[in-house]
Amino acid sequence: MSVVVGNGLTHWFGHQLALDHVDLVLDAGEHIAVLGDNGAGKTTLLRILATALRPTSGTLEIGGLNAHRERRRLRHYLGHVGHALGLYPALSATENLEFFCELQGVPRSRVRDVLETVGLRAEAHRRADQLSRGMQQRLGIARAILHEPRLLILDEPDASLGADAADLLTEVMRGKTVVLATHDHALASRLCPRTLVLRHGRSVGTATRLHVVK
Amino acid sequence: MNPFRVAIAVAGKDLRSEWRTRELVPALAQFIVLALLIANFGFQIDSRNANTIVPGVLWLALIFAGLVAFGRTFAAEREQASLEAMLLTPASPVAIFAGKAIAACALLVACEAVMLPALALFFGTPVGADVVFAVLLATIGMAALGCLFAALVARIRARELLLPLLTLPLWIPFIVAGGQAVQTAMGLSGSYEQAIGLLIDLDILFVVLTSLCARFVLDE
Repeated sequence: MSVVVGNGLTHWFGHQLALDHVDLVLDAGEHIAVLGDNGAGKTTLLRILATALRPTSGTLEIGGLNAHRERRRLRHYLGHVGHALGLYPALSATENLEFFCELQGVPRSRVRDVLETVGLRAEAHRRADQLSRGMQQRLGIARAILHEPRLLILDEPDASLGADAADLLTEVMRGKTVVLATHDHALASRLCPRTLVLRHGRSVGTATRLHVVK
Repeated sequence: MNPFRVAIAVAGKDLRSEWRTRELVPALAQFIVLALLIANFGFQIDSRNANTIVPGVLWLALIFAGLVAFGRTFAAEREQASLEAMLLTPASPVAIFAGKAIAACALLVACEAVMLPALALFFGTPVGADVVFAVLLATIGMAALGCLFAALVARIRARELLLPLLTLPLWIPFIVAGGQAVQTAMGLSGSYEQAIGLLIDLDILFVVLTSLCARFVLDE
């Protein structure tokens, strides 16, 4: 069953075309990597999928719901890690996550589990601004999986993660439908059986793992 | 999801962040004391005219402190991209807005806790419970309006310029009613009860209106 159905997704920033009629269909549990140079439209596509941005034209359904008319209902369903992590620097890792537990309506007991998953148990009480960039990235990922979303949208989550990025992302992505944007072709190939390649906002096709490696 | 819990969580988060960083309140308190000091030297205030001039000084200091306090509420969230993270949760934007307004209101009340004793100290005017009550009532409505416009302009580059332009005209009724309440509390002629009644009406009106508008300002 298709979880994400995007048709003709187009987005203009003023006079600049950022995304040009991109189609995307994702089945439940499927992982897809979005590849492309800087400015190819990866972040725009991911922000549209995360319902953070309305497409100028095109339609998007997530879990059978219109992603823009019913985006509030969909937000239980989505987890998003963007370029900017959106953490509160003066709060500890635990306090950051407990705050988002209240907003997501999930019990605070989830915090221990997600900190364990992302390997931040030992840093639970350190302030976010005292964490290294890689640890902050892990905290951003922890926040995105706090409510156990079924669709996970990851925009270059491997940035600053270090050597075990692939292992961590494999763990985080297990059992979820995932859209992953990255510049790392090897990582994309390892984590995602399908790849969507964007160039100047246009889809230049999808490929299987084998083709990307080639 | 309980919107009251969300509002309390947002307000608690803002107040905890401010308590740890002490970015806003000490600076605002200094600003207020400096404003009062300048007024003390700038106007020829003595026991004969203090009750006429001091209410004006009070509202001027409060307005400019309020503009800074409310401007920071959403600007900081935008800078660290945390507003989008909040809005991508299922929490109601109205509850998020209410939490931000409660926190901004509390910060301004903390500044007022410095301003009112300083006012009595510099100008020798009586600052009783009736003055405090009038100032607190005005703060509620001013916080609701200030936060709404702060949310509106937070994504605009010239936000420091736009916020006063949008907010000040709508704060005028609070200054008129609040000024009258403080003047009568300080012994000038007029009806204190009438001014307080007007402040309560304005609070109800603007809290309801801003709550209705918050969803569109934050969500779109």
